Formats: sequence, C-alpha cells, structure tokens
Amino acid sequence: MAELPIARSPIEQADPVEIESGWIVSRRSSDAALTITDVSAATKVLVKSERHLYPHGYGTAARQGDWLIVGSGPSEWTLLGPVGAVPAVVQPESMVLDMTHGRALMRLHGELAPRVLEKLCSIDLSEPMCPNLAAFRASVANVVTDIVRDDRAGLRSYLLSCERSSGQYLFDAIRDAGAEFGIDIQGRRPGGRF
Amino acid sequence: MTNRLPVQPGEIIDRGSQVEFTFDGRSHRGHPGDTIASALLANEVTVLSRSFKYHRPRGVMSATYLDPGATVQVGDEPNVRGAHRRLEPGMEVISQNRWPSLGFDLLAANDLLGRFLTAGFYYKTFIKPQRLWPWYDSVLSKFAAGGTVSPDTAHGHFDKRFVHPDVLVAGGGLAGMAAALSAAVEGASVMLVEEEYELGGMLCFDPARLNLLAEMRSAVVDHPGIEVLTNSVVTGRYDDNWVAIVQRGLPSIHERLIKARAKCLVVAPGLIERPYVFEGNDLPGVMLSTAVRRLINLWAVKPGSKAVVMSANESGDDAVADLERAGVDVRHVANARDGAGIVRAGGNKKRVAWVEVSGAGRIACDLVVTATGWTAPTSLMNMAGDRPIYDARAARFFPSQLPEDVMATGRITGDGTDAELAEHAAATGYEAARRAAGRGRSWQAARAWAAPVDPGDLPPPKEIRPLARQDHPELFRSSTHGIVDFGEDVTSKDILAGAREGYDSIELVKRFTTVTMGPNQGKLETVNAVAVLAEARSQTISEVGTTVWRPPYAPITLGALGGRPWEPVRYSPMQPWHSSHEAVGLVAGQWIRPDHYGDPAAEVKNVRTNVGVIDVTPLGKLDLRGPDVSHLLNMVYVNKWAKLDVGAVRYGVMCAEDGVILDDGVTGRLGPDHYLMTTTSSGAAGVWEWIENWLQTEHPEWRVHVTPVTTGYASMNVAGPRSRELLARLVHDIDLSPESFPYMTVRQGSIAGVDCFMWRIGFTGELSFEIHVPAGYGLHVWESLFTAGADLGIGAFGVEAQRIMRLEKGHFIVGQDTDGLMQGYSAGIDWMIKLDKEDFAGKPELGWQQQHESDRLVALQPLDPKIVPPEASQIIDDHRIAGRITSSRFSPTLNRSICLGVVAHHLASPGTVITIRLPDRTEAQATVMEHHAHFDHEGSRLRG
Repeated sequence: MAELPIARSPIEQADPVEIESGWIVSRRSSDAALTITDVSAATKVLVKSERHLYPHGYGTAARQGDWLIVGSGPSEWTLLGPVGAVPAVVQPESMVLDMTHGRALMRLHGELAPRVLEKLCSIDLSEPMCPNLAAFRASVANVVTDIVRDDRAGLRSYLLSCERSSGQYLFDAIRDAGAEFGIDIQGRRPGGRF
Repeated sequence: MTNRLPVQPGEIIDRGSQVEFTFDGRSHRGHPGDTIASALLANEVTVLSRSFKYHRPRGVMSATYLDPGATVQVGDEPNVRGAHRRLEPGMEVISQNRWPSLGFDLLAANDLLGRFLTAGFYYKTFIKPQRLWPWYDSVLSKFAAGGTVSPDTAHGHFDKRFVHPDVLVAGGGLAGMAAALSAAVEGASVMLVEEEYELGGMLCFDPARLNLLAEMRSAVVDHPGIEVLTNSVVTGRYDDNWVAIVQRGLPSIHERLIKARAKCLVVAPGLIERPYVFEGNDLPGVMLSTAVRRLINLWAVKPGSKAVVMSANESGDDAVADLERAGVDVRHVANARDGAGIVRAGGNKKRVAWVEVSGAGRIACDLVVTATGWTAPTSLMNMAGDRPIYDARAARFFPSQLPEDVMATGRITGDGTDAELAEHAAATGYEAARRAAGRGRSWQAARAWAAPVDPGDLPPPKEIRPLARQDHPELFRSSTHGIVDFGEDVTSKDILAGAREGYDSIELVKRFTTVTMGPNQGKLETVNAVAVLAEARSQTISEVGTTVWRPPYAPITLGALGGRPWEPVRYSPMQPWHSSHEAVGLVAGQWIRPDHYGDPAAEVKNVRTNVGVIDVTPLGKLDLRGPDVSHLLNMVYVNKWAKLDVGAVRYGVMCAEDGVILDDGVTGRLGPDHYLMTTTSSGAAGVWEWIENWLQTEHPEWRVHVTPVTTGYASMNVAGPRSRELLARLVHDIDLSPESFPYMTVRQGSIAGVDCFMWRIGFTGELSFEIHVPAGYGLHVWESLFTAGADLGIGAFGVEAQRIMRLEKGHFIVGQDTDGLMQGYSAGIDWMIKLDKEDFAGKPELGWQQQHESDRLVALQPLDPKIVPPEASQIIDDHRIAGRITSSRFSPTLNRSICLGVVAHHLASPGTVITIRLPDRTEAQATVMEHHAHFDHEGSRLRG
C-alpha cells in the first residue's frame, strides 16, 4: 500500500490527464471561445464568524493574492485558492471547515457564458444586476449552485459550485446547454489559477 | 407553378433554387421562402383542408399564422399552420379532417345534415341515456378533427431560456421597430419579438413602403442594444411583467419557451383584418385584402384570375391596385363606404365561382376579396388587466387603462401616417426606457449586496401625443348568414339561435356555440361574434362587450412547456468502480446507488462469513460545532446527550412536535465542541432544515455552527467477521482491538494514507467499521480495501443485501417501517425516550402516547418459512385490518422468511399468531417474536 493516495474530482477528466498536487486533472487544451473547466481540485474553505473578517459581505467576492474570498452567506465566506493551499485566515471565534472534497467547482468562460446560464438559471445576469465579482446562490439545472462572476481577460467568466455528488450532472447540463454555442472542455492550465 | 408571378419588388422567395415537397402524396415544387400555402396556391391547389364540423372545403383566407383554412399535417406533426410554416425540402404535407381523401370526403355528409347539427346539438343529443355515453364517446371520437400523432414519434429537442430585458416589444411592425429603436437609443436593453419570419409587419407587402422598411430593419438589426426574435410570439403576460415567449424554428431546437421578466412591456401587435360574414364566405377563393396583398407581394402568387373586391378602407383599395398590377381581372369593386356590399357567394368543390353584390347582381369570378375592418388583438393588454373599449366610429376596440409597466403603440392605439405612427412609437419607446430605468434602479437597490446605486436623474418624461382614430364603417354581416368562426364552423345562425335560447351574454354564447374557442381563440372572429349577438339582442357592441383573452395568445407545445428534462442525479465517488463491476443501480432520491452486484443472497452470506464493503456515501452528515451542540442534540433527539464522551457514538431518534418519528442516525463526538451527526440518506436535507429551524428561530442564543458535509466524505462500511483483520492491513495509527476501539465509538486516523473518521457501528449486525474519508480519496481507499482483502474473501454488497441483514438484525428503516403517523413508542424505542428530560421535540405527544395503547412495530416469522408476505400486506384480525407488513425478505442466514410489521396493540405480545392476507387473497399465519432481531439478539457478533 505504498501507493500515494490520488484525489479525484467528481467530474470525469478529459484526456490528457496529469497529477497536480495529488489530484488527477485534465490538461486538455481548447481554443473555443466558450469553455467549461473543472476546477474542483481548488482548495475551498468555509469560514463562519460573527466578526467582520473581510471587508465585503454576502453577495460579493474579492481577490486577495491567489485567493478569491466569496461572501457566500450572512456571516459566512468561502475561500477559493490554489490546489493544496492552506488559507492564513483563521481567527479566533471563527469556524473553519475545509470543503475542498465536498464541492464540485467549475468555470464557465467566454462572452456567451451568460447565454448558456440563461438556459439553466432564472437569475438576471445583466451588468447592473450581476457585475463582476457578484456572488449568489441559485438553481442551475435544478441543482443548488453557488455562482461567482469572476471575469477573466475582459471576458465573462463564472465559477459554479455545487455539492460534489451533483458535479458530473451539473457539468453535463452546462455542456448540453452550451452545445448550440460551441462550448468545449478546457483542462486546467499548469500552475494556473482555478 | 402556373400561378407564379414575375419578380415582385418585395418578394421573399429565392427563385434561384427550388424545393420539392408532396401534398397528399402528390409532388410539387416551391421556392425557399414559400409557405406551404403559398407554394400550393402557386401550384394551383386551392383546397388545403376540410373544415372542423361540416367538412367544407377550405383554402387560403388570411395567408397568415391565423389562416383557418390552411391547417395541415407535416410528417408526424399535426395541426401545422400551413400559411405560416415555411417550405422545407422533402416535406410531406397531408391534408386534415377528411376521409378518405380531400377531394372525396364522406364526412362532408355533415354539411348536408347541417340544419340538424346546430349549436347545442351535441349537448342536447348525447346527454341521455347516460349509460350509452361510453358508446357515444367511442363513436364521436372518430369524428374528432385534427391530425394524428404516431406513438413512435421521436422526442423533439425543446428548451427554455430566462431573460430580463429592460423593454420587451411585442410586434415587429413599423411601430414596434420604432419603439424598440427609441428605447435602445435611450440605453435600454430591448427584446423585439415578431411573429413572422421578417420584421416589418404590413410594410413588408406594400411596394410603396419598401424603402422605409429597409431603413427601419437595418437600423434595428444593427443596434447592439436590440435582440430581435422572429418567428416568435409573446404568448402571455403575467403578474409583474413575467412574459412568456415562444421561439420557433431554431436550429435543432423544435421550440423554445422564453421566460422574460421585462421591466416594461410595449405592445405593438398592429391590427388583424376581420372577415365579413355572408353566405359562402368560407369558399376557397374568398380572401381578405391583406391575404391577396401578401400572396402577390411576398410570394409572387396570383391569387385568382377574375376578382370582385368589397372595400371599406385603404387596404381594400391597395389590394385592387395589387391585383390589377398582377394581371388579375378585377371585375367589380363594391365600395362599402358607399353602402355597397357582398350579399352571398357560391361555387364548386374547388373554389368560389360567383358572387352576388348589392346593386350589381351576380358576377362570375374565382376570387372574392373583402376589406371590411380590423380587429385589435388586445390579448396582452387584457392579461395586464385592461378591458378594451369599443369605438363605433372606428369600428374596433381600443385599450383603455394600462398598468405602469405596460404600454401600447401602433395601430392598436390609433391611426395615422407612417410618420405619425413612428413618432408615437418613438415617444412610447422613450417612455418605456425611462420607466424601465426607474424600475431597474429600484431592483438594484434591493440586491442582497446592495451596492449604492447612483440615483441620478431619470430622463424627463416625454409627451406621447395620442394617435387619431380614423372613421370606418361598421361592417360585420351581410343580409345573409355565413361562417363567423372558421375554426369551429360556427355560423351567424348558431349565434342567433343561442341568443334565442336565452344565452344573453357573450361569455355564455361562446360556451354554447363554441364561437371563438377554436385554434385562433377569437382573433379573427370575436368582433363579428359580438356584433351578431348585439344584433340579436338589439344592443350595441359596447353593451355586449367582449370575451376575455387569456394566455396563451398562440399555441405552445407541451414539449416547450416541459423544456429540457433537468432531473439531477447524484453519484458517489466510488461510482466508477460500481459501474465497472456490473452493479445494478437503484434510484434512491436523486442518488444512484448499487442495489446489488448480481446475487444479494450471496452478498449476505459473504458478509456473515468473510468481509463485505458497502458504499454508504449518501448517508446524511452534518458537521456540528460550538459549545451548545449538546443542548441542540438534547432538543432534537428523544434520548439524552449531555454526557456523551469525546470519542463516543450514540444512536438517536428524532421525533417531530407531534411525536411522529422524523429521522434516526448516530452522532459521534469528535472533540469537546465538535460533533458529526449522521442522518438517513433521504432525510439529510430535512434534518438540516429542522436543525436550522431550531437554531435560527427557537434558540438563536445557542452557539452552534451546522454545516452539511454529506458529500464531503466518501463513506463505506466494512462488515463481517474478518473486517478487523482487513483493516489492520491498511490502518496503522488506530488501535483496532475491541478493548481500545469498542462498539459505538469513533476514532480519527488514516487508512491507506488518507485521513479518516472510523466508527464502530453498523446496520448489518456484524462486526463493522464505518469509514469516512475526504470524498476525493474515496475511490483510492475503496480500491485499496479490495486489493488488501483479496485473500480474505472481500466482496462488495449493495443496498438489497444490507436491507436483508438489517431485517435479520431487526433494525427499522424510517419511512419504510414507520410512516407519517407512527409515534415513538409504536416503533418500540421505549427504552430510548427520556420523558424526564427537561424538554425535547415531541415530548408532550410522546408523554400522552406512553399513557395509551397504540399500535406496535414487531418482528414476525411466518409459520410456513417459505412464504414471504409482500410488503404492505394486510394483517387481519376478526375480519378487520389490524396492521400491515412493513418489511419482508427471505433470510439466507436463517433460511426462512422474516418480517417486520405494525400490529394492533392487542396482537403485539410475543407468541401471538397473527393472520396475514396475501395479494392472491389467501392467508398466512405468522408468530410475533420476542425481539425485533431475528438474528444475534444479544449482539455478540457486532460487539466482537
């Protein structure tokens, strides 16, 4: 039993695959304008505290170095970070729980990303109502999903997180909805952010 | 295609290519851009269908989606609007409502019997005798109109879309385009919805206005703030401007339902030309003026060769000009503004042959054109609460009071030149954008994150000068009777008969005669129906009023309503292993679980003999942290929790306030202020909600953080006499001996290099270890167990084997052995219920139950060990139902049948022999056992 433990995402990895920090990840490359990437291996830490640990609250997210701090609920933050990273945010009187293995996380990227989500989610994704770094919880294809708008390179980009067990279903549902827009799977870029 | 005209300036057909299709098996050709109806007319086919009731031959009348004479079957799709659906290569078009053929329809005998088939015939004739109704039903159903759907029809692709435009414009004519442009210029996001395939409305078939059309179209299409949906229709407006749109003709998507939340809805549907009621008005070749204009200008189809026109407005005059330009011999124009009009028409089976005109006598012709007025399609405004008002001078209805978030523009509100209409629409679009901006700001301010919204100043309101109303003669019916509702074959005589029978309200007449209840839902017929009733009752149209238009405005497929079947499924991390080992799946809630791997009985024997592993990931898991967790546990469980040591595990049952069993599971104390609670798989969400309710509303002072972590862990139970031996090969930092790690305790350590929680608990009655590891490592640990245990006879077991073993052990399952009425004492957990606790959920009810006799859950063994009474079999006592079997299986361990069942209190004593009624109505006897456990009551195996 000397074999090192390998962690697996709930989502089937598109070839080719590699091991990154103990996780099997896809290195598939796509030049499609609309892509979906499984970033479930990213560290996800839930922090609950009555104290204002972060300047922003429920409904917005903010970058702190490699971490994305998401105000995921009242007095609650979800910290998203690189694979294997440990957040230096623990303070007294806060509850910290590693949810890395409990949540699927995927990134939907491309200018047409809102058009895909429009087919699965009833939330108004327009700029005034849902600006960059807005965070909210909604039903996506009938799955409770935490959504963060996290634009990349000036293009619309959304992080979607759900319970791990529904991850493959949600991933497949987004691909189904994005088929008419030419969605493709993009693997994780080596050393890239989630 | 002998009726095809030379190139017309605004035609939309592509003459560069041809489309082959068949109609009732006969081959024809058309061009891309043709509708089914225009192509058939170009091929000199004038009869397209038979009517609903009298099976009269019908042809093109309006040349729009609403054309009642052009409904056909296309392949497997029935009731296709043939005057709207574009031709496609290889299309197989079949006429409807005829037998055996369109030309020779025996069902047309109904027309001969028409005088006996008046309104109310159906209701009056078939109501008695009641016992014959099934026979009537079977015969009448053979006469049902419409096409046919094959059961083998492939499921089409349908989906939905949610949009939130600032301004939604319904109608893409001149006014709709102008309003959309104006709103977009003001910065609004605009969705413009047009029923036809191209924007433009009536501009499209007016050669004199093609430049204006091109200019408007390009301005709209080029504007980035406007999304144009053609071949789409707004079907309903609901509260708070929730607007439904049906979008058709998308690539590979049959139909899409768009759910729009519009900040402002602009209704710009234009007007619908109204037919005229006279004898013979449904003959093929009798057309509306807009129909002949469409046919000539859009599809270059010559609608006839010898025409008579009745004109009361510019549309009729323009039709005359178009007809003459197309080479049609216009034999007579009856100017209805001067009182001239059509009296009746007649013809043969294929088309109209003559028309009688007042003052001009009988004129031979093959085309009769009427231009007698307009119907305002006020549906969306009706749905917004408006009751349209009739204006006798203009001979049509107009909107009256609209809510703030609904506006109207275009000819539905008045008449005018193109410039006047565009000006009105532009002002309306500006105001719609202004109102939308106001609403948008209030919505932004209500966001959870509530970033400050710069209130700024909304643009100033702009005056919308009302459009004038052009005088128009009131023309509804000639001196003869004819069809009012072409979809339902309702005549003006039927309406008069209804009035004579006392149906004095238009709503009652509608239901008695079915007028306006056909496929067009009154869009062509309503005003004529109202006018005929007004005539019968010597009232004005205003006094009669209209029926209420309700959604949907246009038909919508069930597929579009359903959309994509998004039904979430949940998988364990070990699913790939299950799939590759031929697991037979079981749908448990949303979870897909292995029911068994081929032989559940063998799986049981292996667990009892060697070692087995089951995937129990779906078990609900809640992480509880904080100094007040024990208070919470004491409240939600019926037993005591104040003295649970760190490292200890306790079984608990939750009851609701009424004492009914809610859920059960074990909770372990992982640290001084840290617990892990497990729940049933199906109860996980409900228990979380239940706990949050206690924490948020009943005891907000308790310091407890609860977090669902069900899928954070892959969970597996290793069970069997060799389970400890197996784990010893993979676990090196936990002392697995019974002395150090006894039954009902929990330890933290690692397995196969992965951190884990390990519990000494199980559902099977065997020595068991329940292991929870971070879910991403679940498959690694699972596979490691099988590698390490190959020589120990390790085997996977599924839900079915687990259910057999738990029944052997006498463990009940909440929801199977309990129901929505079973209180705690009935389940036999008397030893657990601690009424001496200060308080807990369900305590008063359980206190009451303790003092009263109630049904009991007991173990049962049939006297004949081969009989396995099916679950839910009744238990009978003195010919009365005295209980039921809740669980039953054949036990491979005991080689006999075993059960759990609920029995009346007086039958619950051990040794009582009860009677079970089996589904084949035979009976079997069974003995009530002393304990729930059929096997190892002392628990020596699980404590080993």
